[in-house]
Amino acid sequence: MRVDPFYVTNLVGSLDQAQANEQQLSSELSSGVSITSLSQNPVGAGQNVLLLSQIQQDDSFTQSSNLVTGQLQVADSALGSVVTNLTQAVSLATRANNGTLNASDVKSISNQISGILNEVQSLANTSYQGQYIFAGGQTSTAPFTTSTATSPAVTTYNGDQGVNYLQSPNGQKIQLNVPGDQIFMGTGANSVFGALNSLIADYSSGAVDTEQAVKDTVALGTALGYVSQQRVTIDNSMTQVTAASDAVTNVQTQLTTAQTDLMQADIPTVSTQLSLAETQQTALEDIIAQLNSTSNSLFSKLPA
Amino acid sequence: MGTINAAFGIMSGALDADQQALNVVANNVANANTPGYSVEKPDWQENQPLTIGGISYGQGATETGATSQRDRVLEERLDQQQQLASASGSRLTALNTLQALFTPDSGSSSSRAGDIGSDITNFFDSFSSLEANPTDNALRQNVLSTAGMLAGDISNAAASLNSQRAALDQETAGVTSQVNALTGAIAQLNQQIMTNSPNSDAGTLEDQRQQDLSQLSQLIGINQITTENNGLAITTTSGQLLLSEGTSYQLSTGMVNGVTDFFLGGTDITSQLASGGGSLGGDLTARDGDIPGALDSLDQLAYNISTAVNTQNNAGTTLDGDTGSAANPLYIFNQPTVIGGSAAHMNVVMTDPNQVAAAGAGDGTGDNSNAAAMAAMANQGIVNGQTPTNFYSNFVTNLGSTVSTVQTENTAQNASVTQLQTQNDALSGVNLNDEASAMTTLERSYQAASQVFAMLNTIMASALNLGEQATVS
Repeated sequence: MRVDPFYVTNLVGSLDQAQANEQQLSSELSSGVSITSLSQNPVGAGQNVLLLSQIQQDDSFTQSSNLVTGQLQVADSALGSVVTNLTQAVSLATRANNGTLNASDVKSISNQISGILNEVQSLANTSYQGQYIFAGGQTSTAPFTTSTATSPAVTTYNGDQGVNYLQSPNGQKIQLNVPGDQIFMGTGANSVFGALNSLIADYSSGAVDTEQAVKDTVALGTALGYVSQQRVTIDNSMTQVTAASDAVTNVQTQLTTAQTDLMQADIPTVSTQLSLAETQQTALEDIIAQLNSTSNSLFSKLPA
Repeated sequence: MGTINAAFGIMSGALDADQQALNVVANNVANANTPGYSVEKPDWQENQPLTIGGISYGQGATETGATSQRDRVLEERLDQQQQLASASGSRLTALNTLQALFTPDSGSSSSRAGDIGSDITNFFDSFSSLEANPTDNALRQNVLSTAGMLAGDISNAAASLNSQRAALDQETAGVTSQVNALTGAIAQLNQQIMTNSPNSDAGTLEDQRQQDLSQLSQLIGINQITTENNGLAITTTSGQLLLSEGTSYQLSTGMVNGVTDFFLGGTDITSQLASGGGSLGGDLTARDGDIPGALDSLDQLAYNISTAVNTQNNAGTTLDGDTGSAANPLYIFNQPTVIGGSAAHMNVVMTDPNQVAAAGAGDGTGDNSNAAAMAAMANQGIVNGQTPTNFYSNFVTNLGSTVSTVQTENTAQNASVTQLQTQNDALSGVNLNDEASAMTTLERSYQAASQVFAMLNTIMASALNLGEQATVS
């Protein structure tokens, strides 16, 4: 059988391939990345897109949750102060109602409660980064204003019922605010401002209509209880944010590990492959040198 | 009855024949590295025997020329395989340039087409951050800057794809003149071959024709049809006549829809050439299939994200309390009207971060329900029923699979070409060892013939002198 006399050409082709292989492997080693082009691992490249997207979403949520935690804490502490103030107002009213105080003392209590009203109103108008946090969606205007044109004075709510939610990457919706009217205006007897304004009017003259004053004091107590209830919503949100953020961080860690496993070059394997490719190259070069030597032709054996 | 004179004749004939055969060997050795040269073997013929008185006497041998060692079927097979390998090879080159645009993202931030996946996520994440504080200027600004990144990377990728396409187009246009030159040369060779050796192998001329055919096979897909008198007709793979015996038909080009199309006698044969093979086939497949396919995916992505985000933003309330209207729409991206070209034209038209409509329609400016709706689009099937990230991920996977498939195809086809080439070289290549051995054989037989000649001379002298010592020796 005749053979291909140009076998060296084929060997050089193999040598080219071995070198291309070495180049690819050393680029993997130097970059530490195993998928340097899509065709190397199409499915892996697609997965990489999805993994990175999830990692980024998680990362973004962690940052968002830090932001909202600040706002929730401010809301919580404001409501805490409101509770303290209202508790004080209840005890002042109780003192005024027991009939032992003279007119000027009752007036003074009216003034003190009026001070508490101002304090509570300013707490209800608390802002965080320039935005009123108890205004529903109308965060650019102070939600509560009091008009003293009538007696008792009337405090009105200028906000709306808008509730904002933060959605976590796994779809959980966390409530970020409670509209101010829900906390402070309640329904009927639950209105903090209604009760406070009534009490101020009750004591302003120094003469106490005990029956009415007791009724209003009870109303204030109910409103206080209601504020505490609404505060629980905020506290729950804080717990949820922390829990969601922790969960997301855990998932993110796992995803990052998966993404690294996917994209990182397996150094021992790549090194072994590189060493094999090198051996092959050396062997090919030796063979080519051997075959190309002049003593290998029949012509060299002919007498000169 | 043979005579000494007749023996002289036989021997001088043998010496002539040996010399001619040595010529053939010398020509082989000289052409050992000539591309397309097929090794030639000397043809020997026994001379007509002489019959005298019923007894037949051999009259020696004549060297009647040389025959090229060639297998037309094998050569045609090689050409066909070469066409396939060239097609996948040039398509692979184009695809490699294409996929280099979308090199997998390692997670570090940089602005490349490969980061489109991250850009999509960052853009929609900017809305989920905005959920946390819908009035924050920095967060609003972030929406616009991530939108800018996304639009920039998509439109840059589209621009790169378009320029790759234009480069390929130029490359294909250049092939025409090469094809025409080759078909012209083959037509001429056909005429010479049909005149000079209508019934037998045309040797060197045939070598040249085969060489031109194999060059043509690297450029386009062809069918070869042998005609009478050793002529040849060539058609494209889909049957359009490129040359018939002595006449060749010129391929011409013209611009159709912004790209070069190929015409043969007024007929547009671009799509036939694309599927035909050869480097032209591969380039055309990439130009008219792969690159427009990738562009289309980017267009779909750009169109659907732009329109969905614009519509949603238009439906909400801005920080200034405005809502979008038909006359004054609140568009973040340049609103595309058709899908085609959306990617290339994607850009951010909104400049005022206050115009990002985080609040729902009719809600206060502190509301975040519209921002939440925008953020939620990241997980909705807004791009052909898939989420934007999934769509991009699938695009990347499909592109990678295509490249990988073509790579495998090309490797297999090249291996097959190598195998056929080896077979063909084994038959037609000049093996120097063979030539050395042939030369030694011929040298020996020349020596033997001259020895016999010398011996005959002595015998002749003896005959002339009739046994006496004389001047003739």
